[in-house]
Amino acid sequence: MVGSPVFLIAIPLLAAFLIPLLGMVWKELVRIVPGLVLAYLTFLSATLYIDVINSDTIVETIAGWRAPWGIDLVFSPLTGFLSTIMTFMGFIVWLYSYRFKRNVEFEAAKKYFIFLMLLVAASVGIVITGDIFNQFVFIEITGISAYALTAFYTGRNSAEAAFKYLVMGSLSASALLIAIIIVYAQLGTLNMAEIAANIDNMNVEYRIIAMIFFIIGIGVEAEIFPLNGWAPDAYTEAPGPVGGAFAGIVVKAGIYAMVRMMFTLFNISGPMQILIIIGMITLIIAETSALRQDKLKRMLAYSSIGQMGLVLVAFGMGTQAGVFAALFLMLNHAIIKPMLFLSGSYLEFNTKNKYIKEITGMGKKMPVVSAIFVLGALAISGLPPFSGFWSKLSVLTAAADENMILIITLVLIISLVEIVYYFRVINRLFFFDYDLEISVEPHKPGWNGMVALFVLAGIILFIGFYPSSVTGFLDLAARDLMDTHDYINNVLQLGQSIIQ
Amino acid sequence: MDTTELIRIGVYGTSILLILIGLYAVLTKRSLIKIIIGLSIIDGGIHLLLIGIGYIKDGTAPIFSPGSENAVARMVDPVPQALVLTAIVIGFGVTAVALSLVIRLYRHHNTLKIDEIKNLKW
Repeated sequence: MVGSPVFLIAIPLLAAFLIPLLGMVWKELVRIVPGLVLAYLTFLSATLYIDVINSDTIVETIAGWRAPWGIDLVFSPLTGFLSTIMTFMGFIVWLYSYRFKRNVEFEAAKKYFIFLMLLVAASVGIVITGDIFNQFVFIEITGISAYALTAFYTGRNSAEAAFKYLVMGSLSASALLIAIIIVYAQLGTLNMAEIAANIDNMNVEYRIIAMIFFIIGIGVEAEIFPLNGWAPDAYTEAPGPVGGAFAGIVVKAGIYAMVRMMFTLFNISGPMQILIIIGMITLIIAETSALRQDKLKRMLAYSSIGQMGLVLVAFGMGTQAGVFAALFLMLNHAIIKPMLFLSGSYLEFNTKNKYIKEITGMGKKMPVVSAIFVLGALAISGLPPFSGFWSKLSVLTAAADENMILIITLVLIISLVEIVYYFRVINRLFFFDYDLEISVEPHKPGWNGMVALFVLAGIILFIGFYPSSVTGFLDLAARDLMDTHDYINNVLQLGQSIIQ
Repeated sequence: MDTTELIRIGVYGTSILLILIGLYAVLTKRSLIKIIIGLSIIDGGIHLLLIGIGYIKDGTAPIFSPGSENAVARMVDPVPQALVLTAIVIGFGVTAVALSLVIRLYRHHNTLKIDEIKNLKW
């Protein structure tokens, strides 16, 4: 045992508070320490995940109060899978931004790394906690650090984007708190497993009201329509790596909270119309909006929202195959979308207004970064032989199993739309001549950023050629989410096994 | 209807009223500061609601001490109080961040009116 799940939250929190002090000793520590912490977290999470797959779910009790009285952390095949992806993406984002504002602005860089630590800690917390109020606290910490990261640049309109995000975020957090109050007043417990075990004792009306408030409360982080108005602005105005962190880490936590609430808390089995409908509306509106964006990051943001809609549709099918497809989509999106954001922000590094037309002909000036961007674009729109193809295929087969013709048609049409708007960018990159009138000076990427991009590209190609290397893990995670009974048993009865 | 019921209805009614007032302020007011005040009013309403669900008539503090072992039935539920403390701290943090963003916006645009700050689509 290399450590316990509680380290996944405690160590980055501690690091966040130590960074300013370490910065007084040696300025470079502000950059090195977050990387060491994130590398350790990835290692810890991966080791624990392997342990969990081979033996049993780890339920960690905090301060010796076992569930349902205390807060517990649940490290299961599903949460372990997600926390491993999230810590790994945190590490990649750190690697990419290692030289962020180096020798330029020490204070700004310090704050950036502090908030990055908080963001990762809180997002992992959302995933592994087993207590709804604790989850609310983590959602708020994620929110506050995300607002601060969005407002990072003083020169741009970032404060405006952050304020918009803040208003939506805190309104929805209020809704989440109301939902928690309703559940507590009805059932007298905050523990997810105990709520799940007793949910039948709750009146149907209260259950529906609580569920609506839960969806509003979590919807902002999960980017569902109509609560995603913040996303395009925040992704555009935040620094490049932060966009990658939002897409790879925060949104995954939001989606997890949503499906945990639907599948476990309210113990719904079978198809969930509400998730399918929300997902479809989100998907259609986001992808059609992406089609008419003229700014690169705005387009990527809408594409990200659309992908989350598709994930919700796949979860909403409620079958093993559907959940499997949704998790596969989440995995692919967590890797591909940050790669697009990171390579995209290299491409438009020197542009003034971040318009797509400003990167015309960049394919000849920055061939490697452009090639990586194209790889990401092809992978996310689901072209073989990249990883995105397999996840879209599994959504289609899952829908075909349930005879959901509407979903199949929609997914195919949306894939076409995605190809259209990604090819618009690819076209500008490679098939237009570099023109000093509209294009800008290319930016020389740092070695650290290139390493990060190559690692991500390698993973995409690997999953693309050997999808069977991840399907086993996804299958276990899907089984874990579907089996509410097992979750309740693990938490309520085996709650103390870890202490002895 | 006894007084306990009346108090309970009063507390719930007040908190829902506060939440609605706050929501009205957030959705209709055009000044950034008033929007933040609205958010704080919503927070206040929710905190009152949270405390309200733990209310017991003639309740005592949930502490076991010599001579009051039989008081379990009259002890108020400590969990909502712990929750409300946490929620207050979080609300404070969010308000502080919001106000600092407003300062940034004011320096950038020289106004607090939301209609005049629309470089991004609202």
